[in-house]
Amino acid sequence: MSVLLDHLPELWQGLVVTLQLTAASFLGAAVLGVIVTALRVSPVRVLRAIGTAYVETFQNLPLLVLLVLAFFGLPEIGVKAEPLTTAIVVVSVYEAAYVGEALRSGVNSVSKGQGEAARAIGLTFTQSLRHVILPQALRTVVQPLGNIAIALIMNTALAGAVSIVELTTAAKNVNLVEAQPIPIFVGAGIAYALLAALVGLVTGRLERRLVILR
Amino acid sequence: MKKMIAVVAVALLGLAACGEADNAAVPGPSKTGKDVIGQAPAAAASDILPGSTMEKIKSRGELIVGGSLDAPLLSQQNPATGEVEGFDATMGKALAKYIIGEPKVKIVNSASETREALLANGTVDVVFQTYTITEERAKQVAFAGPYYTSGLTIAVKQGTSGITKPEDLNGKKVIAGANTPAIPAIKKLAPQAEIVTFGSDPECLQALKQDRGVAYVQDETLLIAAAQKDTAIQIVTKPFTVDPYGIGLKHGDDQMKKFVNDWLGKIQADGTWQQIWKDSIGTVVQGDAPQPPKIGSVPGS
Repeated sequence: MSVLLDHLPELWQGLVVTLQLTAASFLGAAVLGVIVTALRVSPVRVLRAIGTAYVETFQNLPLLVLLVLAFFGLPEIGVKAEPLTTAIVVVSVYEAAYVGEALRSGVNSVSKGQGEAARAIGLTFTQSLRHVILPQALRTVVQPLGNIAIALIMNTALAGAVSIVELTTAAKNVNLVEAQPIPIFVGAGIAYALLAALVGLVTGRLERRLVILR
Repeated sequence: MKKMIAVVAVALLGLAACGEADNAAVPGPSKTGKDVIGQAPAAAASDILPGSTMEKIKSRGELIVGGSLDAPLLSQQNPATGEVEGFDATMGKALAKYIIGEPKVKIVNSASETREALLANGTVDVVFQTYTITEERAKQVAFAGPYYTSGLTIAVKQGTSGITKPEDLNGKKVIAGANTPAIPAIKKLAPQAEIVTFGSDPECLQALKQDRGVAYVQDETLLIAAAQKDTAIQIVTKPFTVDPYGIGLKHGDDQMKKFVNDWLGKIQADGTWQQIWKDSIGTVVQGDAPQPPKIGSVPGS
């Protein structure tokens, strides 16, 4: 136990990086996810195909492969970014596929009549998506989005592979010196569990407030 | 159709031949590894004390080793044969032969962060994984040996100037393997260096070549092997640390520790140790096998 207290500064620093990575990537994934959903439900066939290709590609590639590929591969073609930037972009792009799918299930839950009514009053596709469909869709998928956020927190641990010292890597570094894996990794595990519980709590509250009873 | 098959077969044979030739150019353990094990000693029945860890291993018929599958020259799985080759891997086989009479080993890819836990809960019998003996670690595990001594050195991209000693790393970005002794060593000798870590040796080398850091601190043996394969990097110093590698055993198992130490003494005296070195590390390091370190010579062993 004292081993955790002795190394609190390093572990705390790791937790801060985990939080940064989580917050920035979730934001990126949310924005990209909305775009992906818009593509997938758009009336233009080519755009739908692009949306489907995006989801199929990123849901079927392991995140670690994407991270290593982006980090070591892109500099070969002259694109080089800071490790944290690379990780945020890659995690965003990857998780956007999942956010997109969750949102699409929300869109599908909005009854057809809503879309037809929006069109009948003269709204364009973008307008009807923005003012009618998406607000309702979002309210339906609060819980799935929360689950994606929790998975995203856990996935940030993979960023250690591209030199980012987030919580898991910080714990490994401490263990290298102290050689006490059980208290150190149990401690890190509890921190992850608390983060996940917090997300669960927030989404639970949000869901109760936003839910639409149909 | 038959013609097609013939063409494909010939092409495949050609490819296979290329593969063979390529393999020969890669420095690695020679195929004489089997002979070393053949000549390696086996323990007298009276050495396997009843109720001991050794007896347990012998009756199981397999030695479970915590090790790596991706450490060139030390413990690397050969993708062509599936065999794990290298200094640590062969040492594990020799110990298995000593206990069981046959080199039957199962390697658990233990990853350096879980070695202590795997030994404590009995998942593995021994750890052969460039396991540097430290006093902190000796509180959690027992160390037989040291069985090999190595040291850290510095590699840079060809043509880099201004780095000739560890202190020159201050204020610079330095690459190190995650969970390697390089991290504490850099912190000690160049406290102002910014350390960047990657999971494996090839990744560290790639990062060095892509200017993710100006220098790469790693075990000399690995760097020599890398520099021989790749002229884009060069080694700029002699080893500046002494890392005594120990054989990790369950904490407090004095019987087993004495047994393994006795075995080490035997294979050092009869030349098995030296042959294992020649077949692995000796394929990239010039000259004769070094003097093996004195057993029990470092604090913690």
